[in-house]
Amino acid sequence: MAKKKAYKHNNGAMYLMLSPYLLLLFFFGILPALMGLLEIPKPSMANANGGWDAFKIVIHDFRFGPALRHVLGFMGIFVPLMIFFVIGMALMLDIKHSPWKKWLRMAYIVPASISGAVAVLVWYVILQPTLSPIKGVLRYFHITESSQIWQQQNLVYILAIMAFFAAAGNWILIQYGSLQSISTEVLEAARVDGASIWQTAIRIKLPLISKYIVYMSVLVFAGGLQIFVEPQLLNGGIYTGIADSWSFDQLSYNLAFMQGDFGGASALSILLLIPSLLGALLVIFKTDMFEGAQGHIKKKDVEIVGI
Amino acid sequence: MTTTPSAIKDEVNKKPRKVGASKMRHQHPFSTFLVTSWLVFFAIISLIPMIWLILAPSKTDKELSYRSPYAFGSLKGYVNAWKHLKYFDNGVIGTWLFNSIWYTAAIVIIATTTAALAGFVISASNVRFKRTFLISTLIMMLVPPVALVIPLFVEMDKVHLVDNPWSVILISSLYPFGAFLAYIYYTTSIPIELYESARLDGCNDFKLFTKIALPLSTPLISLLAFFAFIGNWANYFMPYVMLPSSEHYTLPLGLGFLFLSTPAINPGVGATSVPIYKPEIALAGALIAVPIMIMFLVSQKRLIRGMLAGSIKE
Repeated sequence: MAKKKAYKHNNGAMYLMLSPYLLLLFFFGILPALMGLLEIPKPSMANANGGWDAFKIVIHDFRFGPALRHVLGFMGIFVPLMIFFVIGMALMLDIKHSPWKKWLRMAYIVPASISGAVAVLVWYVILQPTLSPIKGVLRYFHITESSQIWQQQNLVYILAIMAFFAAAGNWILIQYGSLQSISTEVLEAARVDGASIWQTAIRIKLPLISKYIVYMSVLVFAGGLQIFVEPQLLNGGIYTGIADSWSFDQLSYNLAFMQGDFGGASALSILLLIPSLLGALLVIFKTDMFEGAQGHIKKKDVEIVGI
Repeated sequence: MTTTPSAIKDEVNKKPRKVGASKMRHQHPFSTFLVTSWLVFFAIISLIPMIWLILAPSKTDKELSYRSPYAFGSLKGYVNAWKHLKYFDNGVIGTWLFNSIWYTAAIVIIATTTAALAGFVISASNVRFKRTFLISTLIMMLVPPVALVIPLFVEMDKVHLVDNPWSVILISSLYPFGAFLAYIYYTTSIPIELYESARLDGCNDFKLFTKIALPLSTPLISLLAFFAFIGNWANYFMPYVMLPSSEHYTLPLGLGFLFLSTPAINPGVGATSVPIYKPEIALAGALIAVPIMIMFLVSQKRLIRGMLAGSIKE
């Protein structure tokens, strides 16, 4: 009990130290989410009477369907490519440990520094047959004009490749790190039982790192859904064939800043927030990814109140 | 079942697993060759974009077309590209570079400090609603920050902070991932008994942080600063929405502006009096990408430890 009193006595200073983070969390995390919700029913040009019809109006906007198709197409390539490729690479790196492989890991992480505006610049050049550092490859596929690449139907592939290169290296290293957490004894037992490398990878390693795969999938999915910078910059003159509301975030941006329809833009933001939020809740409550952290809290609470 | 950053470090740094080596004895040499070749091939592919980006400013725009993409021009090429960039809009590139540095520095300092303090308080005290705090932090950590960009703009507009750098700095200083890392770090690295005995010696709560926790926080602070830097140096969307005036742009916004307003890669723009072509914008791109690459290369282990903190078990 004495211990409990002592802690209570000191809590003022503790709250003071916690307050800067709490203020940021409130003003830039919780409040904008609430303000976004309150903004939706306000009357606007598109939603003259106001009210929750804003959702219906946004979904029936002529740009919503194409944006949905584009983003689904992009995610359909980007997300599976990321998951299978990253896991495959991490497993291959984990087969045999050699000191020189650290150089490979260093190389894999380099493209992670090329994202957003720089990625648009670099990939514009790579896909330009006269300038490309992979001219030979383009020539092999009979690509001699940039117009053969910059076509509407190719955009999902181009944007998926840009996003893939910006994200894959980090995740290869992280999943490689997660594979290092598997105990030597487990792998030794599998080997003694005669498991091949393939069987060990599929039946032992993958199930043991499944929560990290779910964690990665949720972050990759949530990030991909919010694609904005690359199509926005392409639209600015590099490739005029791309729609100005190619992705959901661009549509949301245009609704807000071109049409002044902040209600519609907020409705779309909230719609996009739902899958990300569900993904976050899935990782927190349905995997044991953060179980250690929650366990700590419970354990410490018990210690602190002296039970 | 406990998790410690040091445990993670041990896992990452530990000696190669012998079992892997023994298994390889049973593997067909041809498969080993194929796997190794693929790993090396992908490493080469990974380096190509950065090699182009670093070499491009050493050449002139004409040389970029007829010389090999992997050829080095001259050191003078970099100097000329920088001079041309400085002609653009009365040297606004210098302002963008300065803005990028000071916004990122302010974000790194505020985000790291607030996250470390929050992590410390949650691990060392019995403040109320810890679980609510943790769950809301985890949710914010897993939801991309751009998801709230429109409501954040409405909020900033109400307090007249649009087109003020502090809008971007304050919004980006919310660092739930950092607070979570700090919480895990303090919970597992500093035993609660240490705080208790310090309290018995008359230490107040501020001193608990400054005299006990902070001196033991060097690995944590470097981890928090690393993630805060790589997350904000190249950020585009938030400054794009919040800072419409070009004098407040960061380098990534400036690069986007160069795309649109010069003929470098935008065929729609006619010739301009300022010679901004591909070498010049490649140099601007390299100024954004190279600092992040250096951070990544020197901090590989930080990346793995940070992203897996709170989940790897002993």
